[in-house]
Formats: sequence, structure tokens, C-alpha cells
Amino acid sequence: MESKKTILELNKVSMHFGGLTAVDELSLDVKEGEIVGLIGPNGAGKTTVFNCVTQFYKEYTGDIYFQNHDGDQVDLRDYKVTDIAKLGLIRTFQNVELVKDLSILDNLLIGAHHHYETGIIQHILHTKKARSEEKRMKEKAYEILKFLKIYEIKDFYVAGQPYGILKKIEIARTLMSDPKLIILDEPAAGLNDQETDELETLIHQIRENYHTTILLIEHDMGFVMNICDRVCAINFGKFLAMDIPKNIQKNPSVQEAYLGKDE
Amino acid sequence: MNVKFLTKIEELLGPFSAKLRKHPNLTFVVFGLLLCLVALLPHLGLMNFGTMSIIAYITIYAVTALGLNILLGFSGLISLGTAGFVGAGALGTAVFIEMGLPFELAVVLVLTISGSIGALIGLFSLKVEGIYLAIATLFVGEILRQIYTQVPIFGGNSIQIDGGIKLLGFIELSQIFKEQRSMLFVLLVIIMVLMMIAMNNIIKSKTGRALLAMSRSEHAAQAMGISLLKYRLTAFVLATLFATVGGIMYAMYFQTIPTTSWSLDLSLFIIAMVVVGGFKSIYGTFLGAFIIHGIPNLILKDLLGDISYIFSGVLIILVIIFYPNGFVYIWVDIKKGYSKLKKRLQKDVTTDGK
Amino acid sequence: MSDLFGIIFNSLETGSVYALAALGIVLIFRTSKTTNFAQGMIGTFNAYIAAYVMLSLGWSIWIVALLALVTAFLTGIIIDTFIIRPASKVNAISKQIITLGIIMVIVGLLPKIFGVASFQLPRFIASEYSLDIFGATLFYNTIFVIVLSLTLMGGMFMFIQHTKWGLATRVTASDETTSKLMGVPTKRVTMISWATAAMLGTLAALFVAPRVSVYGNMLLTVQISAFFAGTLGGFSTFFGPVVGAYIIAFSRNFTQFYISDIWGNVMVYTLILVFLYFKPYGLFGKKPTKKV
Ligand SMILES: Nc1ncnc2c1ncn2[C@@H]1O[C@H](COP(=O)(O)OP(=O)(O)OP(=O)(O)O)[C@@H](O)[C@H]1O
Ligand SMILES: [Mg+2]
Repeated sequence: MESKKTILELNKVSMHFGGLTAVDELSLDVKEGEIVGLIGPNGAGKTTVFNCVTQFYKEYTGDIYFQNHDGDQVDLRDYKVTDIAKLGLIRTFQNVELVKDLSILDNLLIGAHHHYETGIIQHILHTKKARSEEKRMKEKAYEILKFLKIYEIKDFYVAGQPYGILKKIEIARTLMSDPKLIILDEPAAGLNDQETDELETLIHQIRENYHTTILLIEHDMGFVMNICDRVCAINFGKFLAMDIPKNIQKNPSVQEAYLGKDE
Repeated sequence: MNVKFLTKIEELLGPFSAKLRKHPNLTFVVFGLLLCLVALLPHLGLMNFGTMSIIAYITIYAVTALGLNILLGFSGLISLGTAGFVGAGALGTAVFIEMGLPFELAVVLVLTISGSIGALIGLFSLKVEGIYLAIATLFVGEILRQIYTQVPIFGGNSIQIDGGIKLLGFIELSQIFKEQRSMLFVLLVIIMVLMMIAMNNIIKSKTGRALLAMSRSEHAAQAMGISLLKYRLTAFVLATLFATVGGIMYAMYFQTIPTTSWSLDLSLFIIAMVVVGGFKSIYGTFLGAFIIHGIPNLILKDLLGDISYIFSGVLIILVIIFYPNGFVYIWVDIKKGYSKLKKRLQKDVTTDGK
Repeated sequence: MSDLFGIIFNSLETGSVYALAALGIVLIFRTSKTTNFAQGMIGTFNAYIAAYVMLSLGWSIWIVALLALVTAFLTGIIIDTFIIRPASKVNAISKQIITLGIIMVIVGLLPKIFGVASFQLPRFIASEYSLDIFGATLFYNTIFVIVLSLTLMGGMFMFIQHTKWGLATRVTASDETTSKLMGVPTKRVTMISWATAAMLGTLAALFVAPRVSVYGNMLLTVQISAFFAGTLGGFSTFFGPVVGAYIIAFSRNFTQFYISDIWGNVMVYTLILVFLYFKPYGLFGKKPTKKV
């Protein structure tokens, strides 16, 4: 583990909303191939961290570095929010954010958006290149859908699908972009026990099959402890500890953050 | 009626519908061919030319409304300035032709100008949203309307293309001669079919999906690498281009273009076509144009006389209340009803068998 | 000098009319989440009633105006009950088109009920009563229109700010679902809003009628200007659009007089567009907070 390269590094990142400090001088790193959990009580600033990393918020202070496809460290601040996916960094959202009035397959194709090389003129003219590209993307999507065992329902609309399926579609969509690092905002929220177990296996499989690194926010402690190589705990935007799950569980400041201080 | 009968029909139609489903663009061509037959009817004495003009209007509005559907149905954006761009297409073509430019060049120029204004609105839409954007497009429409009615180059009340349209420099088509009018009609249908195919190709491509993603979940779209700038521009440019093509069609067919018709009323009617016909649906858009323009003018006027306007209003209200996504989605209900009917008939058969 | 004052008086009067119409539009926008394109036509319809009754029964303008306000109130309630409420689940764009349907119904009804001729309505105070200020004529009627509009609007603001009903309107406007859960009678608030908006539109119609006569499109300019006023002032407050209305009236009149009759409007509209680019939610509007 130690020898692995750092894929994502936060260096003293802070983010303020008016008077509120949502993230406070947070530093952490994620190494290639790791599954890292980011935990903290409600409102601790976890989602805000993700929003800074993916450049939805640009007003943060400190630095966020990412290792690009060439293996170089780049400062994410230099990238627009819409260029982050191209770097191989892709995220999901706390609330499922899918296009409900498109089929599951089409939702996956949205995930491959930045891989398309043909433009609108070629699409209008339905050129050979455009068709073969579309076909290629669809085949890629089929593979992922089969991997996630939702191939059979690929042509159904997203609207009306059960919650567990929606979460799967979101994960499938991230895979379409050939991610190096997937960041998941509460992937297990709203899932039942069986689905959560299934998700655990799935995330492991994703790491193996797609050679990705995973950073996730999750409130389900059992899930986090089972799945993560390392866990970072924060509270009020401040770093508390980062360690292997077993040690995090025992860490007094983490316990205090979750249980409140005993007087 | 029994199940066997239904299954037989299904078997008969099966290969066709499978083929059409595989090549959706083929359906537009078939549709266009059928519509072209209308051009013959007046010559056989089965229809008068006035009726053909009403259908010509429908094709023009259908094309215009298709563009608007890109905004309303796919991009979650609205424009109240559509009429201004139809006017730009119609008046612009006429002005350029009257200046002595060849038809094709006039078309290219008009499209370029409109498209640029569309791009400006797209840029604008990155800053201004919701009702503010809607009314901003109304400003644009009003500015265009003022220009059309006030600037002398547009001829005051109307401008006429003398001598008709000259295609490729030698095919002259004038509204005055009946045969040529029918040919113009066929030309409109061809343009409409081409625009439908273009639309279908767009919405089934990455562009269509990106527009939907942008409107349904802006943040997720951005995280997926979809640039709001690019797709807002795309949406507005496409919508204005379609509207302008509608205007060009108007100029081609009618060849006398009024300056005063391009106001908010028309924009609202075109929105109504999308809303009543069907969001996101190409045939729905045509259906909308038919319901809003065709039904009152082809049927109600003769049937009900001057209360046709009231009836159309009521129709719009009712359709929206009962089919909020457009009347074309009645198809879904028909399909449901059909499978229910089939199931019931099947049950009858099995119980009879016992 | 006389020109200048003439323009000022004129702008104050048209501004008041725009403001009344704009207020009606904001009220509907805030409570029903729709842009009411039919506002002008509803006002027109009731102005027709006033003019028709006046012509056939010879009643005074004051009485027919009151009558028109009553019928306006009823029109609003009918429209809300039979059209808007059944469509409450319809998306925002479709709802706007419903108001287009309403326009078509009214446009169809007008000649059926009142015939095809246009009507006249006199000023509330006849034009022989006027003042002379620096050479410009100031009709008492103009003063009446301005003062009554300002008083009414002032009263409405007080009402919205300080009464239980006003509070109910404001909370319905900001979040209907929550308000409903909190026991606010959102249905009644919406209904009264439609009734009030119809009355405001009718008042606007009665005020412009002497200048343009009573005909189908008599409120077209007012209606469009009211939309512009709402955008300029911002739809998130009730007073913003009123301020916007006066600004539009003044700038339009001044540019038309001093620059060009044709290009005055175009200039004003373009300027407002540029302004909007930098203040996308109008003069007083606030950007709604969006969370990722
Ligand atoms: N756009 C914003 N504007 C203002 N305050 C915000 C914004 N986004 C988040 N906050 C505030 O910042 C703090 C951290 O929020 P954040 O959403 O990051 O928490 P979280 O750890 O993801 O919580 P949860 O577990 O509930 O999802 C909260 O107090 C929240 O109210
Ligand atoms: Mg969160």
C-alpha cells in the first residue's frame, strides 16, 4: 500500500459560506487502487469536500491535486467543472440525479459524453463515423449493464425504477467515462440490507475489473468498515483522523464526534 | 371481433412496423410521401387551393414548433420570441431576393443572421433564467417586430417576391401559377421531412441526451462533462434555425410576406403546438400544428362559424389538463386499452374452451 | 418646458397603468407559478362589460366601473376554479399555454356577446377639468389615475406586509407545499389572487380606455409592458415591478420624444436586456440559492 502513488491529494482545503466554515483546513490523500471512506456527522462538510474536488465550488482555499492519465499531478483548480470528467474523475450525487425520461441505456450513454469525437453536423447527417461511434458506445454500455446485472431492463425508462436500481444506474454511468477515481456520495443511502451487501461486493468488483480508485461518503458504518481500506473522519469541516477502519472505530475524537461529549 | 382476428392483423403489420422501428427516419419519408398527395388533390377537383395553403401553413408551423420543442421539451428553456425568427426567415429571404441575390445565398445569409442572434440569446441564457429569460426573449421578439414594421426596407405593410422563387438559378416557381403552387407545396413537405429527420438524428444523438441531462439535472450534466455554455448555445441556435427555416418556407410558398404578423400571438400559438401536440415528440409536434392551426381552419370554421375560436381555446385547455405532456401521448393510452382488450378477449376464449 | 412636463405627467399616468397590470402578473406568478398571458384579455373583457352597460343603460362611468370590478372579481374566481385548479399539477410551460387558451376563449366570446363594434369609455373626470403647469396640461383625470393607483398599490403592500391574509399570500408564494402543510388556505389564497389580479387588469383597462377606445387588443401594449416591468423590477418582490413600470413608462416616453419615435422602444428594450445580463433577477430580485 505505502508504495502506491497518490491519486488525489487535498492540502489544507477550506471552504466558507458566508460566516459558516463548511470545510476547515482539511488535508487528506487517496492512493491509487484504494477504497477510502469519508465519514462525519450530518452537516460535517463531506458533500462540500466533493463539490470542491469536482470544482463545483471554485472559491475554496488550499490546493487539490489529482493524478491525470499521464501520471502527472495537476492542480484541479486549473480545470473547469465540465473538464473534470475528462481527467478521469467522476462523481455521483447524494440525491439520485438521473434523466428520468430517458431509457437506462441512454442514461449510461450520457456518462460517455466526453468520449464522443463526432459533432452535431455528423449526427444530423448520420455519417458512418457517427453511427459506428454510437454503436461502440452502446456495446460498452451493454457490457457494463451486464456486469451490473441490469442489461435486461436497459430499454426501460428510468422513471418508475426502484431505488436500488437507480443507484446502480448511477454507478453504471460513472463507469462509462473510464474513471480513474470514482467518488460516491452516500451510495448505500436508502438501500435495504441485502442491497447494501450486494453493493459491497459490487464496489470491490469495480475496483478489480475497472482498475479504479474509490472515494465514498457513507453514513452506514458497517458498510464503511467492511469495505474501506482507509477512512477519513471529519467534523465541522475539520480533520479528525485518517486510518484503517479498525483504528477509526477506536479513535476517541471520532467517537466523541458521533456520540457527543460525555460531561 | 376475436383474438384471432387481432393477432392476424398484428401478424400482417408486424414486418412493417419492425422495419419502421429499425429505421425511424423511413417513417418520416413515408409520411411525407402521403402528404405530397395533397398537392394533387386540387388538380383533381377534390380540394381547393385554400385548403392546400392551410396545410402548407401546418408544415411551416410544424418545422417552427420542432425547433421550439428542442427548447421546451429537451432543454427546459422557453422562448417567447419565436415569431420574430419566423419573420426573420420570411422577410429576410424576401429582402435579399429583392436585392437581387440568388435564392440559395439569401437562405444562407438569413440563417447565418438568425443563428447568430440565437447564439447571443444562448449566451444570455447562461446568466438569466426562468421567467426572466422567457421575457428577455419577448424583448428580442418585440425588437424584431418593431424593426420589421418600422424599417422601410421591409416594405411597410408587406413585401413581395416579384416573379417567384428561382431555385438553383433556373427552376422558377411562382405562387401565381397553380401547378407551380403545387410544386411549392411538395417542396415544403420535402423540407419538413428533412427537418424531421434532422431533428430525429439530433435528439437520438449525444446532443439530444446532453440537452436532456442539462435540463433535468444541471449539476450531474456538468459532472459528466456537459458544458452548459455549449448546449445552451446549441439549443437556442437550433431553435432559431428551425424557426427561420419555417420563415423561409413561408417566403417560398406565399411569396407575399406581411410585416405585422410576427408578434407575441404567433409565438404563443407555436408554443401551444408543442404543448398540445407533445413535448419531445416529432409527430406530436406535427399533431400540435394540426390541432392548433388545422382543426380550427379546416374543420371548425365551416362547422361552427365564428365560435371556432372559443372552441379552439377550450380544446387547448382540455388537452393540457388531460394530456399535460401532449395529445400524442394518447397513443400510450390506446396501446394500453388495446392490450387490455386483447387480454379480455383471450380470457373469453379460454373460458369458452372449457 | 411644457413638453417636459407633458411627458412627465403622461409617463406617470401610463406608468400607473403598467404598474397595476404588473402587480396582477406578479401576484399570479407568485401564487400559481405561471405567467398569465390572459391578464390583459381578462381586463379587456370586463372593460367591455362596463362600456356595454354604459351604452345600453346610460349609467355613469363610476357605477359601470364598480360593476366591472365586481364582474372582474367573479371572472377571476371562475377562471381559478374551473381552469387553473384542475391544472395545478400541469408543468409550468403548459400552464402558460392554458392562459393562451383563456385568451382565445375570451377573444371568441367578445363579438358573440358585445358585437363587433368597438366601444368608448369616458374619463372618470371629464377633460375640461385641468390645470396648466408650465404650459403643460394636467388633467384632473390624470391626477386621479395616478393617485388612485398609488393609493391602491400602497394599500396592497400594507395588506400583504401586515395582515394575516397578506402573510398567507407571501408564504404561499414562497412555498406552496409547506404552506399547505402548515394550514395556510393556499387554495383560497390562489383564488383571491386571481380575483385581485383580474380586478387590477380591469382597472388598467378602464384607465387606458379613454385613450384607445375599448377593443380586443386594447391592453396589448400594457400587457407586454407589464411583463417587462416585472422583469426589470424583479418578480421576487411586489414593489419591484411597480418601480419597473414607472421606469419603463418614463424611459419609453422620453426616448420616443427626444430621440426617435421608431427607435425609442428598441433602445429601451435593448438597454433593459443589457441591464438584465448584469442583474439577472431584476432591480430588487434576489438570486435563489441553489445547492449542489
Ligand atoms: N451552497 C451552500 N450554501 C450555504 N451553506 C451550505 C451550502 N452547502 C452546504 N452548506 C452548509 O455547509 C455545511 C456542510 O454541508 P454538507 O452538505 O457538506 O454536509 P454533509 O457532511 O454532506 O452532510 P450530510 O451528511 O447531511 O449530507 C452545512 O452546514 C450546510 O448547511
Ligand atoms: Mg452530504
